[in-house]
Amino acid sequence: MPTEPDNSTTWLVVPAYNEASVILRVVADLVRRSYRVVVVDDGSTDDTGRKASTAGAAVVTHPINLGQGAALQTGITFALRHGAEFIVTFDADGQHRAVDVAGLVAALKVNKADFALGSRFLGSCIAMPKSRRLLLKAATWLTRVSTGMDITDTHNGLRGMTQRGASAITLRQNRMAHASEFLTQIAGSELRCVEVPVTIEYTRYSLAKGQKLGDSLRVLVDLSAERLHR
Amino acid sequence: MIAQIGLSFMLGCIIAYAWAQYSKAPIIGLLAMLAALAGLYFVWLPSHATWLAELVGIGRGVDLILYVWVIISLLVMLNLHLKLRSQMEMITALTRVLALGNACPGSSPAA
Repeated sequence: MPTEPDNSTTWLVVPAYNEASVILRVVADLVRRSYRVVVVDDGSTDDTGRKASTAGAAVVTHPINLGQGAALQTGITFALRHGAEFIVTFDADGQHRAVDVAGLVAALKVNKADFALGSRFLGSCIAMPKSRRLLLKAATWLTRVSTGMDITDTHNGLRGMTQRGASAITLRQNRMAHASEFLTQIAGSELRCVEVPVTIEYTRYSLAKGQKLGDSLRVLVDLSAERLHR
Repeated sequence: MIAQIGLSFMLGCIIAYAWAQYSKAPIIGLLAMLAALAGLYFVWLPSHATWLAELVGIGRGVDLILYVWVIISLLVMLNLHLKLRSQMEMITALTRVLALGNACPGSSPAA
């Protein structure tokens, strides 16, 4: 009889803002697989925090909305303080699959890597709009040029890291520019990083909450501003 | 003469401001200082401003000074934006401390 893998030292960090309609299902699916889950309720005005707690997650609540980058950093700090060996960031809107978490953690162990980045372009995308694909391809090209990293997917929220990897990351970009900042810091850390095929499923809900073209311009402004200030 | 003294005073304030900002935002501080020094030079030597303006195709020296002012204003606005970002970082740090201090442990398997 196969033994259940020990997932108790793997923490899932789930940043959430007004996700009351989906958070229960997302967290329950992760808890069922014996992962430890921390939901960072980023100043939601709905029932997100209570529902996440009901589903079995630890909940850290920002009293005000700061953005996904800030929520991720809070969750990573929380997980590290609770002795996480592996940390996986996971979106709250239901577009990630819990089954992919095991692949990310396995890739960290097998490759002795400190970062495992999910790639929808190595794996698969379900119902991805063409405009989103173009936008992501452009972002990937820009990141490859600016960081020198040979990666295929830059703005994928499904990422795994070891304790050492997570300790090397300090996100200062509160909003969506954190994805580029994350990769820049990985490149600067000189720690080993691998890509892992994952599946992203786009739904009407996740598309409505996802990034738009205007957000991309804001990301560029945020990244440029950071370079001008100490 | 009165206009020259007034403008010089304002440009002097900009130089002091740029100097104060240099340690936090070196590029902004340096650019604002250079623009203000250029402005100061042209205020006291308007014939040079006219000569340079004609050279670069602006037309009149007064217009050149106006453009310098616009550049300084934009740099000051950019610096204010960066200050707001800096304050946001402090708010974020404070919020994080509060949030982690009041975390709800949860009931997932090993929690």
